[in-house]
Amino acid sequence: MTSDEIIEKVKSDQGENIESSEVNLGDPVLFVGPDAIHKVAEYLKNDSDLNFDYLSHITGADYLNEDREPRFEVVYELHSIDKNYSIRIRVGLTEEDPTIPTVSDLWKGALYPERELFDMFGFNITGHPNLSRLIMPEEWEGNPLRKDYPLTIEDVTFSHNREFKQDLVKSKPATR
Amino acid sequence: MAVTEQGLLEREKDSMTLNMGPSHPSTHGVFRIVLEMDGELVDSAEPHIGFLHTGIEKTSEAKRYVHVIPMTDRLDYLSPPGNNLAFCLPVEKLLQTEIPERAQYLRVIMCELARMASHLVWLATHALDIGAMTVFLYCWREREMILDLNEEISGVRMMTSYIRLGGVAQDATPGWLNGVQKFIDYFPAKIDEYERLLTNNPIWIDRTKDVGIMRREEAINWSMSGPILRAAGVNWDLRKQRPYSGYDNFDFEVPTGKNGDIYDRYLVRVAEMRQSREIVKQALQKIPTGPYKVDDNKISLPSRDTLKSSMEALIHHFKLVSEGISVPKGETYVPIEGPRGEVGFYIISDGSGVPSRVKLRAPSFMAIPGMCRMMEGCFIADVVGIIGSIDIVMGEVDR
Repeated sequence: MTSDEIIEKVKSDQGENIESSEVNLGDPVLFVGPDAIHKVAEYLKNDSDLNFDYLSHITGADYLNEDREPRFEVVYELHSIDKNYSIRIRVGLTEEDPTIPTVSDLWKGALYPERELFDMFGFNITGHPNLSRLIMPEEWEGNPLRKDYPLTIEDVTFSHNREFKQDLVKSKPATR
Repeated sequence: MAVTEQGLLEREKDSMTLNMGPSHPSTHGVFRIVLEMDGELVDSAEPHIGFLHTGIEKTSEAKRYVHVIPMTDRLDYLSPPGNNLAFCLPVEKLLQTEIPERAQYLRVIMCELARMASHLVWLATHALDIGAMTVFLYCWREREMILDLNEEISGVRMMTSYIRLGGVAQDATPGWLNGVQKFIDYFPAKIDEYERLLTNNPIWIDRTKDVGIMRREEAINWSMSGPILRAAGVNWDLRKQRPYSGYDNFDFEVPTGKNGDIYDRYLVRVAEMRQSREIVKQALQKIPTGPYKVDDNKISLPSRDTLKSSMEALIHHFKLVSEGISVPKGETYVPIEGPRGEVGFYIISDGSGVPSRVKLRAPSFMAIPGMCRMMEGCFIADVVGIIGSIDIVMGEVDR
């Protein structure tokens, strides 16, 4: 199946759950809402013609500087090992309620990337068995990969720049 | 799982908590793992990562595209050209440029040499962890020759940054290609030497066979990639499945295992070294002459001699150095097959010269939960073997 045919098939079976779709530089891309993502993921994994059994990665994105709604996005990249297809799913999340259900019940490989999303972006992954900080220390404040998290200020206990940092977090988007 | 004094007192089960790392010789970097032991057997394993976190993904959001390449070297520091290529491919896809054929061949040669060097480091340290000291010294000897070749072509032994946007850093001389030819003529006899030491060695077989088993379905479900996936019998190699950089021009096999144990991973990686050598051999036979980077002054710097005569070249040079490459708005992901498995960068461009988001899909990072799953129910002595068989590089785990 080509990218267009994959999208056609998903749309005909899951039309009500797909917000929109496109072929981006040859790759099929689905846009899905956070409420429907688990249903779509389950369908993509279990459908015998598509069989997306391999989760390549999950990543987050913050579109603060582009001034668009919704601000955040979660991106899933799936492969089908037998059929050799790939698909990307993009889920928009709002700033007020960045909540998305876990897919780690479908792919165990999702456990770590989802914890990373919680750690680095502060997304709330519902249903995750162990949602805690992964890369940053437990007591860390803030979510480093958000665009409003400053790039250059280091939060060290004995550092003199603590107050400076607090002002920065409140007032300024990330420095470039 | 926090190990507190109170927690130790309140425990009901008669088990022991054992801390390994973060600075343990077998964890190949700064990796901590807390093992819940039931006598000799591991009940559960809880990994702790992040000790080497350097914020490369965040830093990349403040660097121009060209400046990200040297940082990608530091991610998987055993195979820098693979990371350079993984970063360049999606950016080039957004730019929609065609890379000259000679550059593609040079990229393939560098990536395969890096794969051999990376597998040599893996074999050396893995064998050393299990107790075979000699292999360590032999593998280091051959890796040194690859590092010398790296130094000759890029000026640096390890952090080569050789693969650049639009091509490679500089052309290969006939002398360098000759040196590569000499190395690949010399190398197969050395692989035989390692195999003579290990493949039929009863101690090696006792320590590795039927240990750390992960079968096909499980390996796919836990997102394992590369040699671990192939050792479980899955024929999945992105060089075959999604050919990039002209890998479809080469004739090579994808070695797969059957049982998905440590021994099969060993066999798969050793066979991969032979296949990499085969690819380099074919590349040296077929390498065409021609330019080594794209002839597009919006992507690669104009040549030195045109700067003195052409105003246009001078303007392009100034624009490229001061503003960087502007990549069209969009986002894309191109996976490649690194020594440890699927490496890929998901890149979001906002149309400026600075990437808006750079995300690395790191095979070692994705393999860590699966590794802990393998450890459940095995002996404490096998934990070291399992960590070694995954071939983790903490640089790309913590980023």
